[in-house]
Amino acid sequence: MGKKSLVGLSVEYPKTVVFLSVLLAMLFLTQFPKMTTDTNPKNMLPATSAVRVGNDGVEKTFGLYEDMIVLGVTHDQGVVNPGTLARIKRITQEIVLIPGVAARDVASFTTIDNVTMAEGALRVAPLMTEVPDDEAGLAQLRRALAENPLFINRIISPDGKTTAIYIPLEKGASGKEVADRLREIVRNEAGEERYAIAGDPVARDTFGAEMFKLMGMFAPMAGMIMFAVAFFMFKSLFLSMAIMAPAMIIIICSMGLIIGLGYPVHIMSSMSPVFLMAIATDSIHIFNEFYFRFHESGEKKAAILDTMRAVGKPLIYTDITTAVGFASLMLANIIPVKVFGFGVAFGTMLLLLLSFTLVPALLTFIRVDKIKRVTASEDHGTSKTTSLLMGLSRIGSRRPRATLLLGGLLVLVAVFGVSRIHVSNNLVEWFKTGSEIRMADRVLNQALGGTSLAYVVASAKEDDFMKNPAALRYIEGLQRHLETLPMVGKTFSVVDYVKRINLVLHDNDPKFDVVPETREEVGQYLFLFAMSAKPSDLDNVVDYPFRQANIWVQMKTWDAQAMRRVIAAMDEYAKGHPMPIELKPAGIAYFNLVWNDEVLWDMVKGFLAALVIVFIILMVNFRSFKWALISYVPLLFTILLLYGVIGFAGKDFDMPISVLSCLSLGMAVDFAIHFVGRFRLRRAEVACGESLADSLAWTAARPGKGIMRNALLFAGAFSVMLFAPLTPYITVGAFIVSMMLLSALMTIIYLPALITLMQGWLLKGENCSGD
Amino acid sequence: MKRLILLMLFLVIGPVARALAASPDEIIQKSQAAFFYPGADFKARVMMKLISPGGQERVREMTMLRLNTGEAGGEQKYFMYFFQPAEVKDMTFMVFKYPAKDDDRWLFVPAINMVRRIAMQDKQASFVGSDFTYEDVSGRDLGDDVHELAREEVLNGRECFVVKSTPKADSAGYGSKLSWIDKASFLPLQEEYHDRAGSTVRVFTADEVKEVKGFPTITKRTMKNLQSGHRTEVSYVSQDYNVGLEDSLFSERFLRQPPKKWIE
Repeated sequence: MGKKSLVGLSVEYPKTVVFLSVLLAMLFLTQFPKMTTDTNPKNMLPATSAVRVGNDGVEKTFGLYEDMIVLGVTHDQGVVNPGTLARIKRITQEIVLIPGVAARDVASFTTIDNVTMAEGALRVAPLMTEVPDDEAGLAQLRRALAENPLFINRIISPDGKTTAIYIPLEKGASGKEVADRLREIVRNEAGEERYAIAGDPVARDTFGAEMFKLMGMFAPMAGMIMFAVAFFMFKSLFLSMAIMAPAMIIIICSMGLIIGLGYPVHIMSSMSPVFLMAIATDSIHIFNEFYFRFHESGEKKAAILDTMRAVGKPLIYTDITTAVGFASLMLANIIPVKVFGFGVAFGTMLLLLLSFTLVPALLTFIRVDKIKRVTASEDHGTSKTTSLLMGLSRIGSRRPRATLLLGGLLVLVAVFGVSRIHVSNNLVEWFKTGSEIRMADRVLNQALGGTSLAYVVASAKEDDFMKNPAALRYIEGLQRHLETLPMVGKTFSVVDYVKRINLVLHDNDPKFDVVPETREEVGQYLFLFAMSAKPSDLDNVVDYPFRQANIWVQMKTWDAQAMRRVIAAMDEYAKGHPMPIELKPAGIAYFNLVWNDEVLWDMVKGFLAALVIVFIILMVNFRSFKWALISYVPLLFTILLLYGVIGFAGKDFDMPISVLSCLSLGMAVDFAIHFVGRFRLRRAEVACGESLADSLAWTAARPGKGIMRNALLFAGAFSVMLFAPLTPYITVGAFIVSMMLLSALMTIIYLPALITLMQGWLLKGENCSGD
Repeated sequence: MKRLILLMLFLVIGPVARALAASPDEIIQKSQAAFFYPGADFKARVMMKLISPGGQERVREMTMLRLNTGEAGGEQKYFMYFFQPAEVKDMTFMVFKYPAKDDDRWLFVPAINMVRRIAMQDKQASFVGSDFTYEDVSGRDLGDDVHELAREEVLNGRECFVVKSTPKADSAGYGSKLSWIDKASFLPLQEEYHDRAGSTVRVFTADEVKEVKGFPTITKRTMKNLQSGHRTEVSYVSQDYNVGLEDSLFSERFLRQPPKKWIE
């Protein structure tokens, strides 16, 4: 009753309603200047999360950096030539001056320490201090690179054509800014060298920044497209604006709320305007029905009230299910995901309120003469759209068994596709195949040990344990074991330094390319090394009391699966080699794995919760288990088919897709709610005066047209994303466009088929179901 | 009249003379003599603590012997015997320092009973893993830098010259150095190493100065790396000058078997 009077009041005092709505929007708009942004996807896990605390500890213990950029330099005739070497030297000198770069630990030809024996003297010094000016010097450098296993695959490719400069970043530095500066530096170098800039911080920070830019661009574009499509459908400028008004208000209010509560706008919440705009298309059912009603009665106010009476209930339930889909994200552990879910759920509920106040109020301002002209075509007996929709519904109602059988087959195929889905989150692959970031990553991963860095930390229970030859042999064995994995391109540890010194002290006698026999030897070699090497060389691989050792693992892919396999191999080795040493993963690749799992499973958890809650809401809505079940079918069918396609297409199930799951749930069920709700209303109205097939056809043509309009508007708005330069947007766009169209089709074809086939069970209450 | 001329002469020459006395090259030269060359020889038991940003420590304990074989600023010989860490006990290290040319260095590795010459071009490499460089331990050639007197100021109650030294070669590990040099003892009480962008990278402080046989001696010092958060504290457990070191001590033979009386 309350809502009817709400609509009544709004129609009575439309100007007040409009005024109040604008006031509300203005109120939330006042919060906008407080906006802070956070483009770092890493912050999706709070700083207190176990993985971040663990990584911080490891970084502190071993003097490591959270983030590292890799600059690759390739020359087809080999990088050891005076020109290229001079460039490497010059570039390195410029790199250490970039703000945000941890200058003291940049690893390049001119800074990386080499241990050699020359003219009877042991030498620990940077590999190259001056560019050699003669052939002898070049040959010596080539030999130095080739003979030291610490260099191969790390700073020189086995074919000698590619080198890399490893650029660690200070905490809080932006990978994108450093990468941009690097691009400038290499651009100033004329020459035949090719450069590649890769590494997680580049991808991550570039993605974060791009995402914000894109959202700022796509939200207005989607809005404009929606406006244009609405105008094309209703041929009224005013009506198109009336459709956009609630969308604008809920976007302002929900963003204003998030900002006002003090949350930074994160990459996640930056997506909410586009989502809210799409959700706001739900109000199209009001306009759709109003056109029919007005056409039939010709009386404006009565038509508004009748419209709200007819579509009111489905609107309430569709908005609630959508809100539930997003509110389910609030079960997540990740705060930006929670905030996003909360913001969109809030906006959706506000939309519901506006649908019963602002939208009817706006309808009262429509000029009667104009509307008469444009609604003239809204007769569902004649128009082409109408006959198409009716035809679609008759496929289902005439040949229900065949239709369902075909559907069943499709489901089987889809289930098979779903089983092939590969869960992964590869940040680098969020960029297009031809993009600079992807190419750089590919080039470097082909030539060198890998751009993705993880650590395995070996911890013993007593100090100085890592000077034990047995402990070193254990670590060496672990390195060889990890290197058997195809995506592990390089590992190194304190063992490599000890072996190197052993070999060099013994005049490169290959017999001594092993871990020495005694603890004294190990201790003295390490001391000797530390006497002249950069302190960080040793600090990076052993802790102060020699209780822990750190093994660097370079991987050739950012796929979280690679890290998962490294951990599995690590555990397997630990099991097979008893030793009082505990092995633990760390590093950015490990962080990405945890991030991936947490974000993904939070989404899946939300999705499952939403599945249950939506079903309960459907039962409450229809007051019937059977009808809830029936209207659930298009939803499940749509989602299964889409994920089936994802499985077959070999597209990874990643973060963007998991976010979509929650959205799809709330949206895909909407059409079924409208259809079933209106169908049952129709049956109640016409009593037994209409055949089942005709009632279904009417439903398909009347609210069905609203469904089609909704789907098209929605799909139109999201189709802009197909042209985005980042693959997650293309995925989101393609997913939503096909989801809307598919669930509309499913609703209009499969619901009639199901209802026809199960009429005995479903329509038992109807007295005339027997004829 | 005569007096007046004298007074005028004094007024004119006084500042000039003071300025001459305060010529930055001279200050640095005196400072190096006071810091690295006092006495004919020197012996100290040194405790060195390497402290990580997290507060973990590594200890190096050694006996350091120094013999001046030339003038202040000239050649020197250094001998180091290590007591700690435990597994490097008996390790010895010898340096012949030459101005304007690479030093000669030898190391004895007892575990494999081997003496090795160590080539070292980079005097700014870390000294035994500490925050001190070899140069910090044995001094830098006067002519390697351009010195200028930045200002004079009081530091911790001591009148100091503040000298800015800028390396002539761009291969130096830092951009410039500011030294607070005590006007009385000419010891550096504080040093700041700046990178080329101008920010401070390392800071040296003399934490305790004692007079030993008439030579003011820094007995406690700290070098802190502001970028890595790492620091090294050095203290002399005992120290003495003019103990009568002989040139013959600085040989491969004694590197392998150092005489007990010199190392204990």
